[in-house]
Amino acid sequence: MAETIGEIVQETEVLVRRDFLKILNVAAGAVAVGAIAWPFIDALNPTRDALAIAQPIVDVSAVAANTALRFVWMGTPIYIRKLTPKQIADNQFVVTSTLPDPASYSDRVNPGYESFVVVIGLNTGTPCELLGNDPADPRGPFDGWTCPCDGSIYDPLGRLRSGPASKNLAIPKFTFLNDAQIQFG
Amino acid sequence: MSSLSKPWLHIRLPVLESFRSYLNAPVLPREKKYLASLPVLIAGALSFQLLSGLVLSLFYNPADAFNSIQFIDRSVNYGWLIHAFHETGATMMFGAVYLGLLRSLWLRNYKAPGELVWFLSLAKFLLLLLIGYLGYVLADGAVSFWSLANAIAGAFSLSGVPGGIGVWFFGGPDGAGTLPRLAVFHAVLAVAILGILLLHQAARRGMEPTVARGVGLHPYYTSQIFVAFVVYALIFAVLVFFAPHFGENPLNRGPANPLVLPVTVTAPWYLLPLSNAGHVFAGVWGSLFAVVARIALLAALPWLDRSAPGNPPGFLHKFLVFVLALDVILICIWAVQAPSFIGGILLAFFTAYFFFHFLVLLPLTTLLEAR
Repeated sequence: MAETIGEIVQETEVLVRRDFLKILNVAAGAVAVGAIAWPFIDALNPTRDALAIAQPIVDVSAVAANTALRFVWMGTPIYIRKLTPKQIADNQFVVTSTLPDPASYSDRVNPGYESFVVVIGLNTGTPCELLGNDPADPRGPFDGWTCPCDGSIYDPLGRLRSGPASKNLAIPKFTFLNDAQIQFG
Repeated sequence: MSSLSKPWLHIRLPVLESFRSYLNAPVLPREKKYLASLPVLIAGALSFQLLSGLVLSLFYNPADAFNSIQFIDRSVNYGWLIHAFHETGATMMFGAVYLGLLRSLWLRNYKAPGELVWFLSLAKFLLLLLIGYLGYVLADGAVSFWSLANAIAGAFSLSGVPGGIGVWFFGGPDGAGTLPRLAVFHAVLAVAILGILLLHQAARRGMEPTVARGVGLHPYYTSQIFVAFVVYALIFAVLVFFAPHFGENPLNRGPANPLVLPVTVTAPWYLLPLSNAGHVFAGVWGSLFAVVARIALLAALPWLDRSAPGNPPGFLHKFLVFVLALDVILICIWAVQAPSFIGGILLAFFTAYFFFHFLVLLPLTTLLEAR
């Protein structure tokens, strides 16, 4: 009787040991396969220099009020415009329901950096680059931007005021790092 | 057995059923040698080459080859590692191929009825050599640039059919179109060789004696192959991390310069047994003859060997195969040295011995031992 129990205990031990070895091997194999697969997968990610180009940091400290910085990012022109106090006052309390594409002042600027307007400088109707970055450019009745192709008129916040176009200027993906730096992407 | 008792997938994909019987049918003899799993290791190594080559090809630019490889090594995430995988993978694969050839010479399994298996393994060897050479010239280093330039100049200087084939293959003088074309050949041939591997495997399976109460491929031989694979992977890892440029001419790490000829224009080690010919046979025809003649000798083995089929290899034969392996290693060692008087004589001697072995020693010893 004692021998039988002893055998059973022994067999159970063998089984437990085999299970343990199995788990150990499968776990080590999974780690090995993962370690081999990781470089192959990561190699297809963009390189660091490509990422640095895709997420540029732009210095906006030199942008004077009433002018805009033009900057090409991923093939589209980006306008970074610094508003004057008068332009802010003129556009802050416009009743949004009177606009073709209603958007409030706070929709168009970032909290804490209210004097900067960052937009994609392409007309939303006929895709033309807008005029109005320089005070000498034709800016239209709202002191914003005008389209040389179809005559659409935008205000300094990039909201559509009139014209064949039907949408406000698109806002790219960006974040203010501090007062002087904007990172895109 | 009703079809309902089969697994869901097997009813819908009947080919799985034949695959399972291929894996499990208990018809294989027991206790085959570990070295018999070399063809499987070669197939695995080739798949790994295809994978790493795929990643490299995404960044490789044949119009600016050397710089794009620098970009892979320096900027691409883990590009240095994938590049080392590809280079060392070639070294390991050719190691397995040469070991397999040596084993065939040793065991004499090229004799009837094994000729087809032998021819297929030779075809595999030759295609791998061609792919290896193309990969070497794709690096566009200081050495491989000159190797390619010489090969193309040679092809243009030949007349008749060989010259025509060479010019057709390279598609004109060495220029802007050459490397893009060779890059495509390198990749397409590497995929095409999978077909030869499958044929080779099928022919080997056909050669296996069927045993009444044998073992199945799975799990008996799959575990054996797994052990062989672990050893293979260990050597691979050591080479990748400690000698990623094993067997290469270090001068090839510099950019190509059409006005400066390197001191030694030598191929990677796996091409040396066939490519040292320039030192021994003069001229383009001579180099061509040396390569073709050596391949022809290997292909003629089933007839050069005069022993009766099924005759076990004798001691003298095994000893001579061992000496032949040593001879090939010595050829490789002397082929990468800077040209010298002694080196030239030794290379000529070792090359002559290679021919002597196949044309004289092999037929004589096999005749002797067949008695």
